Amino acid sequence: MGKESKATELVVFGATIQGFAQACINLNIVAGAKAENLVEDIEVSGWYPFEKLREIERVVVEAYENSGPILERVGMEMMLGWYNYGPGKEIVKNGVGFLHFQTGSQGYASVVKGPENLVGSFSLEHLDEEGGKARIHSTTPFNKDMERGVIIGGMTAPEDLDYIDVKNEENPQIFEIEFA
Amino acid sequence: MSLEELLESGTVPAKGDITEEELVKLFRKFRGLQKKQERDQAFWAATNENLKIAYEKLDEKERELARAYAIIQDDLSVASKIQGALLPELSKKMASELELAVYHKQLAEVGGDYYDFFNTHSGSYAIGVFDISGHGVSAALVMTYLKAQFMTILENLDSPKEIVEWVNNTSYDFLKTVKKYATVNFIVMNTTALRYVSGGGFGLLLSGKSSTVFEKRDAFLGLRRRPFHEYELPFKKGDLLVMYTDGIVEAQNGKGEDYSVQRLNNLIIKNAKKPAKDILDLCVEDYTKFRNKDSDDITLLILRKKV
Repeated sequence: MGKESKATELVVFGATIQGFAQACINLNIVAGAKAENLVEDIEVSGWYPFEKLREIERVVVEAYENSGPILERVGMEMMLGWYNYGPGKEIVKNGVGFLHFQTGSQGYASVVKGPENLVGSFSLEHLDEEGGKARIHSTTPFNKDMERGVIIGGMTAPEDLDYIDVKNEENPQIFEIEFA
Repeated sequence: MSLEELLESGTVPAKGDITEEELVKLFRKFRGLQKKQERDQAFWAATNENLKIAYEKLDEKERELARAYAIIQDDLSVASKIQGALLPELSKKMASELELAVYHKQLAEVGGDYYDFFNTHSGSYAIGVFDISGHGVSAALVMTYLKAQFMTILENLDSPKEIVEWVNNTSYDFLKTVKKYATVNFIVMNTTALRYVSGGGFGLLLSGKSSTVFEKRDAFLGLRRRPFHEYELPFKKGDLLVMYTDGIVEAQNGKGEDYSVQRLNNLIIKNAKKPAKDILDLCVEDYTKFRNKDSDDITLLILRKKV
């Protein structure tokens, strides 16, 4: 699929797909030819139909009876890669900085684009730095277990926080975050 | 001492060693580790569960493979019996005139070495020894095809050259299609002589003190559409005829040395006066001692003219 974005369809940044696939490979969730196929023809600077990411997600969901903790770990691993080997360090200086980066859905908007009703948002709704509490509201098409991992991984990567907990059991779209 | 230094040293802190602020930090770190452990536990539990499922699937696949293997083994066992039944026995008349000993061993259940006895349309005896390229089922199928071809044409022809040429011409396209070929050693004998065609096989005729190795100027069946050459040799009472495929002579010992045509022919020549069966046993014994392992189908046919 082409590098060019089409406003009429939901597209995702190549680096995100690469990051997701690489996380699966690092965690030995997929291996061998199957792993190679995941990232075949994906250029990091290209834009690809969201379905491409769904395909990789399906590989995990279909392989695991209980895929929730696995997808959470994939999300964490993905953000560690983003922070340590991608642009993360430049954008986020500490764990709370990752939350700030989600203000107005800016972090999410840099990797997904398309029709507004399909794109949704991943936005910081509340932040109490002193009290160590925050809330992110997500209406994205991403898997919510993976998004929980993304938040944990993104906040963990700078290694300045002692405690991070993210819950979304009650409402999968609302991530209640505790940190210290 | 800072909290980090205390943790690094492994010393249990005494009262007053850590500040209240450090105690709070320690508490948070502990909770952080607890959360991390919970997440790790969930991840490994899911991974373990997946591993269990994978093992169960693997078990099932193994059982499927075992079932499939058993079916294949049964089929091969039947195929082996069929192929064995297709190998000939001397007719009573032939047995009264020829003393025969044959060693025939396939590398797998079925194989590509093949020998046969025929009667030509004029009543002469014909013997063929063939080695079809490759091993296993495909070679065995080609063997049955060639047997049918020879049986068909022997009702009409008498000359080994004409017989082999006819089989080669009619089989050429088929053998090309299935990417197979076959060595051929074919003789027709009458009361005083034998005529032979040799395309790749090995033949030796011992008459009195003289020995004649078969000329091998022709191509294998299925390789070229060219005329074959026919040779005639006297074949009288007491003469010993030996025909074989390359299975014995190309077998290697542990040092990578071939058993060789020379070794086999010398052994036969040295023991030529013995009964055919004894010569055969000596050859097999010598080969078995020499070779590292069987690496090809084997056919060794020894016959003496009794009348």
